Amino acid sequence: MKYLLILPLCLLAPPLAAQSTTPADLIANYAAEAGVAASAERGQALFTASHTGGKPDTPSCTTCHGADPRAGGLARTGKPIEPLAPSANPERLTDLKFVEKWFGRNCNSVLGRDCTSAEKADVIAWLASL
Amino acid sequence: MTDATTTEICDRPERVRVWDIWVRLFHWLLVTCIAIAAVTGFVLDASWIALHIVAGLSVVALVVARVIWGFLGPTHARFTDFLRRPAVVFFHLTGKESGRYLGHNPAGGVMMLGLIGIVLTLGVTGLAGLGGALRTGPLLSLPYPVGAAGLEIHEALAVFLLAMIFAHIAAAILESRYSRENLVLSMLTGTKESRPGDHTGHPERARPLLALMLILGLAATAILLLPNGRQTPIGVPVAELDASFVDECSACHLAYHPSLLTGAEWRALMAGLEDHYGEDASLDAETTARITDWLVAHDAATAQTRPARMFAGTLGTSAVSMTESRAWNHLHQDVREEIFLRAPVYSKSNCSACHSDAETGWFSPFHIQIPKEPSK
Repeated sequence: MKYLLILPLCLLAPPLAAQSTTPADLIANYAAEAGVAASAERGQALFTASHTGGKPDTPSCTTCHGADPRAGGLARTGKPIEPLAPSANPERLTDLKFVEKWFGRNCNSVLGRDCTSAEKADVIAWLASL
Repeated sequence: MTDATTTEICDRPERVRVWDIWVRLFHWLLVTCIAIAAVTGFVLDASWIALHIVAGLSVVALVVARVIWGFLGPTHARFTDFLRRPAVVFFHLTGKESGRYLGHNPAGGVMMLGLIGIVLTLGVTGLAGLGGALRTGPLLSLPYPVGAAGLEIHEALAVFLLAMIFAHIAAAILESRYSRENLVLSMLTGTKESRPGDHTGHPERARPLLALMLILGLAATAILLLPNGRQTPIGVPVAELDASFVDECSACHLAYHPSLLTGAEWRALMAGLEDHYGEDASLDAETTARITDWLVAHDAATAQTRPARMFAGTLGTSAVSMTESRAWNHLHQDVREEIFLRAPVYSKSNCSACHSDAETGWFSPFHIQIPKEPSK
């Protein structure tokens, strides 16, 4: 059931062109935009911290994704979420549009604002390092 | 009368056959089927609906067979033996006319007629509800309001039937004490002791072969003439789901069927995706518009299913989400709260954890399976 979401998106992504990407490219591009080198430590801290600026039901990334990105998470609706770490789920971080969409939504839910390019580079660097 | 019975009791009184084997079988099978229908209907949750329907239809079949036996059975099985003029019933009830009846007494005859009538009406209203509200069975294309009204009447009559059964049992016990015999046992053995002055009724010979042929004929007619429930009813939820609707919505939750809400509710919901039940679920404008149009085109007005009529229109007025609506909570009152919280359900919004057909918008009681305790 959970593949219903990920598989079609992954299958559709390559023909849409120019969106197919890799974790390394994502880190490099976001870091270049930010003008700072990515830091896996900062990424882990951001991911696991509790924040207060966002929506009350989602104080942290770990609320839904769980504390270990190599394991799956669980949406508040009871729907399983596939692991975020590319080592556990090779389809992750390969579709720029998908990455942008979920950073957009989830940073707003958790932080109450968009994530900066530096923050995105940090989080992806941590996920890719696992 | 009383003196006569007292003297009779001293010697071993002669026992006579009153209830033939078919009347007794009918009686106790009816007790069994009504008990199953009552427990599955009143006590157990909706997932027992199939057993409820089987029990209910068996009750109807039994009663139809009993009506035929009421014309063709032996003496005390016949309507002519126990259906009497209102005046006779009145005199019997007021005690102005006494005398022991070997078969049903005049009041019992009225009870028989009432039970037959109410049980047949329960069958008809049940099938109307099954057809109109659940869009299945032989009456599957009845308009929804007819089905809903059928279910209301069905429930009210079921309560009334319980009261009648209670009165029937009370009468059997009281009458047993009054006439110093065990009437319940007589319905098992079929015999009663013969006493002087009994109303023995006009002897009738049973016509079992004719009765059997009639019953088989009726059964064959029912099977041949009634629709088999496999054709598509009108007013069903749209079956083909829009691909982007499924992709986007089921990223986080099951793709709630468009027939669950009104067009206005879908518009409001899709206009507020930035704060969607406590999370940002925003989509780009083009995708939002496309999904909204599709949802509105297949909204609750297009379906005559129970969820479409019960939940649609509750958002924004009495509830923020469907699971907060009165209708939802009434339907789920038999489900323990912790079932919603633990694995594998986790959330009241996770309909498909128990309703395997949730994404079709049907939410048929035939497809409910409440998950067992996780073994862990």
